[in-house]
Amino acid sequence: MRSSGYRIGVALAILCLSGALDGIAAAEAPAKAGVPSVTVIGHGNARGILGTAVKDAEGHNMGRIVDVIVNRDGRVRAAIVDFGGFLGVGSRKIAVAWNALEFGDAVKPGGDLKLALTRDQLKAAPEYKEGKPVVVIGLSGALGPLDMSGTNGN
Amino acid sequence: MRGDPIPPPARDPSLRSTRGLDWFVFFLADVQTGFGPFISVYLTTQKWTQVDIGLILSVGGLVALLGQIPGGAIIDSARSERLVAAVAVTMIGAAALAYAAWPIFPVILAAAVTQAAASCVLGPAIAAISLGLVGPGAMGLRLGRNARFAAVGNGVAAAGMGLCGYLFSSGSVFLVTLLLTIPTLLSLAYIRGEEINPDRAHGADQPQSPPRPQTKLITLLQNRALLEFALVVGLFQLANAAMLPLLGSFVTTQLSAGAPALIAASMVLPQIVVALMSPWVGRRAQAWGRRPLLMIGLGALTLRALLFAVVHDPYLLVACQVLDGIAAAVFGVLVPLVIVDITYGSGHFNFAQGAIGTATGLGASTSLLLSGYLGDHFGRGAAFLALASVAAIGLAFCMFVMPETRTRTAATRSRQ
Repeated sequence: MRSSGYRIGVALAILCLSGALDGIAAAEAPAKAGVPSVTVIGHGNARGILGTAVKDAEGHNMGRIVDVIVNRDGRVRAAIVDFGGFLGVGSRKIAVAWNALEFGDAVKPGGDLKLALTRDQLKAAPEYKEGKPVVVIGLSGALGPLDMSGTNGN
Repeated sequence: MRGDPIPPPARDPSLRSTRGLDWFVFFLADVQTGFGPFISVYLTTQKWTQVDIGLILSVGGLVALLGQIPGGAIIDSARSERLVAAVAVTMIGAAALAYAAWPIFPVILAAAVTQAAASCVLGPAIAAISLGLVGPGAMGLRLGRNARFAAVGNGVAAAGMGLCGYLFSSGSVFLVTLLLTIPTLLSLAYIRGEEINPDRAHGADQPQSPPRPQTKLITLLQNRALLEFALVVGLFQLANAAMLPLLGSFVTTQLSAGAPALIAASMVLPQIVVALMSPWVGRRAQAWGRRPLLMIGLGALTLRALLFAVVHDPYLLVACQVLDGIAAAVFGVLVPLVIVDITYGSGHFNFAQGAIGTATGLGASTSLLLSGYLGDHFGRGAAFLALASVAAIGLAFCMFVMPETRTRTAATRSRQ
């Protein structure tokens, strides 16, 4: 988004200035432990997903993402989708597996997230409640040992 | 100073005032619809967390509950109910603008509180203006008409705003609400101020100069009929409020594709029944008395809860929503009417409306908590059976304890 790009630009400028001043102060500046690394991600390459609508393969509306579930290792396991209902009546929060979400189109402005599950598969899912064990609905046949190799969340 | 009693209206209010009140009720229902379920959808799209959304809704609900009695007291002490109503409608318009334009937490919190406070005033204001215009004798018919216009307003607004939310953005609903405050204020201006007797609007039957209520508040709160009616209304809400959400979640688990349409139908069908039935209820309340109709309403509620507990087909369940419409029509017309019956002559009509409104709010929130707990731990059937037994207790109470209130008005009125 433009405002976060602007903020990152300002942060970069400040860092460059402070780096330059350090250079003037000492010929060999030791690596400062406290300075964070900054990465700038272009506008069409990333976006926030909270509140984004989720559609199934046929384009039917499945709800909106309202939360993200992360386990102890910091790996993203599931997204909470506010699914079903009409104007808030009868809607439920359901945890869907992170690898059931397809993000390809999503980063385009106005793009939708796609969910590889159908409404039939989700309709009887138990509701997500904080403080209770999370029941995550995943793709058919996707059960297997948890991949701890450190690549995509699995 | 006790002088001659306020005479009933010498003639019916002018067509202009009648129409003005009709359309005021219609547009006000439109304006209030926008603040229901659209809020959580809209705030979700603005990337609010669920905790913050829940906080806003809770604060709004709390203010709407606590403000009922002060709202009624404000209307009782007002000399021009139309002015107070106009101010409240403007406040709602400002709240709608804040929602659409600046969805940050402090602004939305203030807007939610403002809108809840304004709704606490507007509820009694409509009944007060009606009572001031037509007097207690014709109140049943007038309330039936009010309920019809409100139901049509709710239905039209829900459909229109749902369409706006679908075609444009969720925030457009609040701009539509802001635009709708204009016809609301216009129709309020259409009502002729001189035809509303302010003392009669407060439920006094003697002119009050200087303005002074004729019975003490504490006497009113000890009025046995009012307490009994508060219990009936509380039990009704305790049984009724949670049924639609429970039905909605059940339908979503049974159907996938047609669920939103079916839930929409289950919300619209009762409104259609209310729009059709309310004037009939108003007329029957004059002819049969109030108790038979209250019993019909509570009976419909008990039957509906029992059916929901045992029927599994989602389409049949939605058809049962007709019973919801019957109960809603009965209570929508009878609640202000019975309050008029009980409090006429005291000058505290609107305060009593606030007290009953508090009982309504308490019943509704307890209903949602109770049914949520029962539904989670014991299943849907148990939750509906519990609601059915609450409704049956209310029905029994109404049959054996609640007095008929129609005769009181007949005794205190001088004519008609």
